[in-house]
Amino acid sequence: MILRVISHVFMALSAVMLALPIVVVSGAALNSGRSMFFPPREPTLDRFYEFFVSEPVWVNAMTNSIIVAFCSAALAVLLAWPLAYGLWARGSRASKFLAGLGSMPFALPPIVFGVGLGFLWSFTGVLGSLWAGVVSHAALFVALPVVTISIGLQSIDRAHLDAAATLGATRTVAFRTVILPQTLPYTVSGFFFALVLSFNEFIVMFFVSASSYATVTLQIFNSLRNGYTPTMAVAAITFITVSIVVFAAIARWGDLPRLMGAEPAKN
Amino acid sequence: MTLVSDTQAAVVHPKPQSARFTVSVPAVVLWTVILFLCLTPFLLVLAISFGQKIEGASWEWAFTFANYERVFVGANWPEEFTALYLQRLYYSLFYAVIAALLAILTAFPFTYLMTRLSRRAQSAWLVFILSSLSLSEVFIVMGWDVLLSNRSGLPMVFKETGLTDWLKANGYFETMREWGLANPRNVKFKTSVFATVLTMAYLVWPYAVILLYPPLSRLDRSMIEASQTMGAGPWTVMRTVILPTMRLPLLGATLLLFVFLLGVYVAVTVFAEPAKQTMAVSVYEAVRGNTLNAPFGSAQAVVLLCTAAIFLVAGQWISRKSAP
Repeated sequence: MILRVISHVFMALSAVMLALPIVVVSGAALNSGRSMFFPPREPTLDRFYEFFVSEPVWVNAMTNSIIVAFCSAALAVLLAWPLAYGLWARGSRASKFLAGLGSMPFALPPIVFGVGLGFLWSFTGVLGSLWAGVVSHAALFVALPVVTISIGLQSIDRAHLDAAATLGATRTVAFRTVILPQTLPYTVSGFFFALVLSFNEFIVMFFVSASSYATVTLQIFNSLRNGYTPTMAVAAITFITVSIVVFAAIARWGDLPRLMGAEPAKN
Repeated sequence: MTLVSDTQAAVVHPKPQSARFTVSVPAVVLWTVILFLCLTPFLLVLAISFGQKIEGASWEWAFTFANYERVFVGANWPEEFTALYLQRLYYSLFYAVIAALLAILTAFPFTYLMTRLSRRAQSAWLVFILSSLSLSEVFIVMGWDVLLSNRSGLPMVFKETGLTDWLKANGYFETMREWGLANPRNVKFKTSVFATVLTMAYLVWPYAVILLYPPLSRLDRSMIEASQTMGAGPWTVMRTVILPTMRLPLLGATLLLFVFLLGVYVAVTVFAEPAKQTMAVSVYEAVRGNTLNAPFGSAQAVVLLCTAAIFLVAGQWISRKSAP
């Protein structure tokens, strides 16, 4: 009984600890002045207007962040599909090696990958272009859709494929009618995992942007020296909201525990 | 030809050598793209680490070990030995080890308790944890900076609640000053090792939960129930059933967090004292900062990478040795 109480207290405490910095930053967004105070003084929503509409610096940064996140996530999914499919359908040493290569950037310290990409783009002459940033993030996060799509492919019932084959479906037809629909939720989840992480990524973007454009996280870091402003806190609220919405949607329409590696749910 | 018969053929009867190496155009494109994007950046870092800086300009290709020499024994070796960059590496390891252990030790009981909940509740927790996991390093540092700063954060709370006076009255204040956690008037957490490690542990805590979640949620319930029926208390169950099966996942998760933490940049620049910065920071300083010495920065990046690789390989080796 006492153990139960202790466990509940411990979980609650963990949640509080996890939420603490987020709550503090979010609260500070309501300040009307230029400084961060918590609790906020003279609460106002003007900072939200500044962040989304009136301050070109932040509006540009937000636009860049959105472009990079969406395009790189889409590109990562496009790259991840053949990697995951190769792993599942062939499982050969070559396809394992290729998938391993693809997840290397994500597994090693990102600062090293960022430095390397900085060199790569400066040699090819595109350092500082937004598209180089998009491709960089796609390479960094391709590991995520590979994992989710692989989980999806593994959950396909082989009997369905056998049935399709017996009914005379060609390889392409079986792919379109059996494999694709069954893995769609996992593909979408992979897309959104990559999207959210790209949105929040800092260090690789820092090296590949070469200060010629800024995403929101870069802009925040650049403004650190001048101290925090409530507008920056608005950015934090926006970002955490996007994450919560995305993951809640994945949990609602997909099987989040399974994606995170729990046993398949028993129906 | 259907997919099924194809895959089964591949599994049961390996195709003849010639057929297995038929190259298709999409495969070549895929290999090229992946090699170009995921491997060349690392190779370039390695290659440039042997280059040399031209004074007043950028750098040129070369094959010299001078950059590595500078990392390990200092630029003026053998006349003089400087351990400045070894010290940076030491702090990289120091922060990463403590923060990784702290995160794992607190995340383990949490994750264990979480996997006992209903699937719905687990989903809700996972949404919360994933949101926190994906939250950018810059926002997390910002939050802790506000919390720990002298004017608005915890030090203010300490002062207002009289905790500072209580610490002073009981002599703990001097100890805190010795640890660098107080100035003459009040407690301070910026800049300190404590703040750095705390933020870093916070940064990877959700990762720890996500890494420990699969093995803990697949834990064999019947074993636990069996030991409970035989009269084992919760602690005995934890010690004799759960911990032994979790040994490898725990080790693996700690190593991954450690490797991730080696590259942390923002938290260290904001919270660590100038004398206690890490190698990730000096990589940045060399590549993008004032000195603009890309080869030297690359050499440090390679050292960082090798450190990460050594720990990952050692982890693999241990897990293979202790696997049944």
